[in-house]
Amino acid sequence: MRQFFRHRLGVIGIAMLLLAIVVAIFAPWIAPYDPYANVTITIDDIYQPPSAAHWLGTDDGAKDVFSALLYGARVSLVVGFAGALISVLVGGTIGIIAGYRGGWVGHGLMRFTDFFLVLPDLALLIVLVAIVGQSLRNIILVIGLLGWTTTARLIRSQTLSVRERKYVIRAKAAGAGDWYTLRRHVIPQVLPLALANTVLVVSLAIIAESTLAFLGLGDPLLISWGQMLNLGFTRGAVGAGAWWAMFPPGLAIVWVVLSVTLIGNALEDILNPKLGRHHLEPEVPVETPPPDVPVSADVLFQVRDLSVGFEVSSGVVTAVEDVSFEVPRGKVLGLVGESGGGKTTTALGALRLLPPNGRVLGGEVLLDGTDLTRLEEGALRELRWNRVSIIFQGAMNALNPVRTVGSQIVEAIRTHDESIGQKTALDRAGELLELVGMPKRRIESYPHELSGGMRQRSMIALALACGPDLVIADEPTTALDVMTQAQILDLLERLQEELSLAMVIVTHDLGIVNEACHDVAVMYGGKIVEKGPVARVFTDPQHPYTRLLLEAFPSLDHPGRRLASIPGAPPLLTAMPTGCRFAPRCPSAFERCREEEPHLYATSSGVAACFLADPIVVAGARND
Amino acid sequence: MAASRRRFVTQKIVFAVLTVFAVITFNFFLFRVLPGDPAVGGMRDPRLSPERVEALRQRFGVDDPVFLNFEGGNVFESQYFAYLGALSNGDLGTSYAFRDQQVTTLLTHALVNTLWLVVPAQIISIVLGVGLGLIAAYRRGTRVDVSALTFSLIMWSLPTFFLGIILLFLGTTWFDLPAAGRVTIGAQYTDVWDQIGDIVSHMILPTATLSLVLLGEYMLIMRSSVVEVLGEDYILTARAVGIRRPSILRRHAFRNAMLPIVTLIALNLGFTVSGAIQVETVFSWPGLGHLTVDAVNQRDFPVLQGAFLLLALSVVIANLIVELIYGYLDPRVKEA
Repeated sequence: MRQFFRHRLGVIGIAMLLLAIVVAIFAPWIAPYDPYANVTITIDDIYQPPSAAHWLGTDDGAKDVFSALLYGARVSLVVGFAGALISVLVGGTIGIIAGYRGGWVGHGLMRFTDFFLVLPDLALLIVLVAIVGQSLRNIILVIGLLGWTTTARLIRSQTLSVRERKYVIRAKAAGAGDWYTLRRHVIPQVLPLALANTVLVVSLAIIAESTLAFLGLGDPLLISWGQMLNLGFTRGAVGAGAWWAMFPPGLAIVWVVLSVTLIGNALEDILNPKLGRHHLEPEVPVETPPPDVPVSADVLFQVRDLSVGFEVSSGVVTAVEDVSFEVPRGKVLGLVGESGGGKTTTALGALRLLPPNGRVLGGEVLLDGTDLTRLEEGALRELRWNRVSIIFQGAMNALNPVRTVGSQIVEAIRTHDESIGQKTALDRAGELLELVGMPKRRIESYPHELSGGMRQRSMIALALACGPDLVIADEPTTALDVMTQAQILDLLERLQEELSLAMVIVTHDLGIVNEACHDVAVMYGGKIVEKGPVARVFTDPQHPYTRLLLEAFPSLDHPGRRLASIPGAPPLLTAMPTGCRFAPRCPSAFERCREEEPHLYATSSGVAACFLADPIVVAGARND
Repeated sequence: MAASRRRFVTQKIVFAVLTVFAVITFNFFLFRVLPGDPAVGGMRDPRLSPERVEALRQRFGVDDPVFLNFEGGNVFESQYFAYLGALSNGDLGTSYAFRDQQVTTLLTHALVNTLWLVVPAQIISIVLGVGLGLIAAYRRGTRVDVSALTFSLIMWSLPTFFLGIILLFLGTTWFDLPAAGRVTIGAQYTDVWDQIGDIVSHMILPTATLSLVLLGEYMLIMRSSVVEVLGEDYILTARAVGIRRPSILRRHAFRNAMLPIVTLIALNLGFTVSGAIQVETVFSWPGLGHLTVDAVNQRDFPVLQGAFLLLALSVVIANLIVELIYGYLDPRVKEA
């Protein structure tokens, strides 16, 4: 909807620009009078208001404003496009050389560009035009030669990123020459962005031309909109109240610049679509009434039939479908699977922390009987961190880079208990850091001053700040080196036992599940495919996916075994296979798997969604 | 940390000094090497006798080598080093148009007037732009946001001088505001309030024009900066912690979003100068921009050269100040 709107504006822009171009080309045939002709006039002909003879009145020389307006389009468009062409050629060349060559050449060119960026552009423009003389050719040249800096910077950064791409590196490694690489690989990649940029440069050139003309530095022999404004302004149109001599040329400039800008915005939107959404957009709780199902008292956290979707341009795609699991008090559940399987989306959806285009489509998330999906924002906020906290993956961005670790922990503590003073809270923050094995003085450190492991420890300290019952850890050891991974895992295990926390660990690492979790839920294609106690699922996996994951995982128990990776890739959300979602990659798949989707069947080691799973023969043990 | 901070500051100052030097050199050659040598141009006046021209040539040193003297004697006996020498004494030459007026004196007066226009306009537009941009970003996609975007789009498409003319029309006809100058010429003030009223009434239209133009720019930049920051992981963390939205905005988003704004305000100083030139022309505000345009129209090259130098140097120095402020705002800079 939004995209359509933006593109519709682009279409309007094109129509507006086309009209201006047609007017410019056919001005001599459309214009009722020739504004270049000499006419003999009397004082009464000057600044005549609009009439049938002169639609937009007359100017200070008794010339027809409407005719001059039509002719003025010529100068604006010629200077705009010719100037922009020069700017883009010069800037593009400099940008590509600077980006592709790098080294001192690139560095020198960028310093040169920076220098020109510092100079005030209009002042330089005025000075140069004054020096070289105000003919149309000179004006085009000066505007063109001064407008290259933005293009150069943009093209350089784009070239830099293209240069690092695999196929370019491969082409160069294969012995492709510079010119060949540039022509075949770099320029085609850079061109679309250059196009959107050109449109911007055109609008800048048109504004520059009209400003120069208004300041009296246009080509005195040509009629342009800026010059019409200059003549009106310096020859008393304001005093005479002759708005018709001033507003039409001004609005004509706005018309053309606006048209070009609209086209540019639409191009930018198509070439470089940005979601442009953020984490503070209003989100709404699910409104359907919850089903009345009793929860057993020792279950702390229960997720039932949770479905999560994402809004995309073509509609809503489902990323997580009917996921159910439960975490008893003091127990740890591992949510495991390849990336793209919906593990993190499940965790974030359960806590209503989805990206702005994400939405809980259905199901319940019960924390001690309270349904998080249906909670009002205020009530949810109180529950957050007090009862449930989350350790995010990659703690670098999860902590605010411009605030100290201590101040962020203090903020969490005081948000939930205003009676705690700043001093006490800071002491608590120090204790929390010691609890996670960091020196107390680190409360004064900024995140960037800490190592990756230390940042993850700070994140864990933050997660424990309000003494939660449940902690969700989303890939807590990813992006850390192996030694640090082991230390962080030990820390989590120790804290879980000491504080008897319930935890959900989201990970792709089966080793973590094996070591730290009581239960495991294996996810594939947005669904749980197998679930059960770790000890049983890992020794007797019932789903081929679980089996393959285990075979792909190095084990200390069977050091001699060959590792097998799973061929193929997880399905795309937009192209889910019918039948069993794993069937296309499954070595044991047969006809039925491709037609019918298996339910979760109760098995000897829990539940598994496979027709080949060993069923335990209990009446009505289908769990779905 | 103190050492790296000092290194950061030193680095910035060294770069600014180098840029200043480059600007001075550029400015010198711009006016000497390009066609229409100012000194020669001024001497083409047919009313001057040959003796007088010769005297002027001597005085301006037109026949001296331009950059370095390779014709024997002191290597530095050239126009360039003479210019540097004069500059170090604050001597920018004498105006052609205003006889006997030192360029430096003219520039000082004009600069003060320009600051009276630019400083209030900057303050108004930064405060409003940052505030409105923050609201537009927070309420992304709502009517507030769409209005803010539309306003910015219109301000972008509207040449500053044309906006000035529109306000001039409206202000003089509907509100009876003065059309030109900084004060009423020859006015007799009854008391100090009368005088302040006169000054303020002259300031309203030009300040409003410049503020509106800058406002559109700052609002747009702030909006996209805030939208980007609000998409960061630490905002999600803050939400997960259960912090109220207004507090997240104030304590987590604002400062981070201000970082790019500060840089862009610096980069936009050239834009501010362009705006001032146009506004001063429309409202006959006797500032640097007005002086520049006058100097161009009268081909008063010493004034033009001086004004351009001053404008460029202001931008470089303001840039330096902003970068130093940035160093205080972002703790990561100290490490770099």
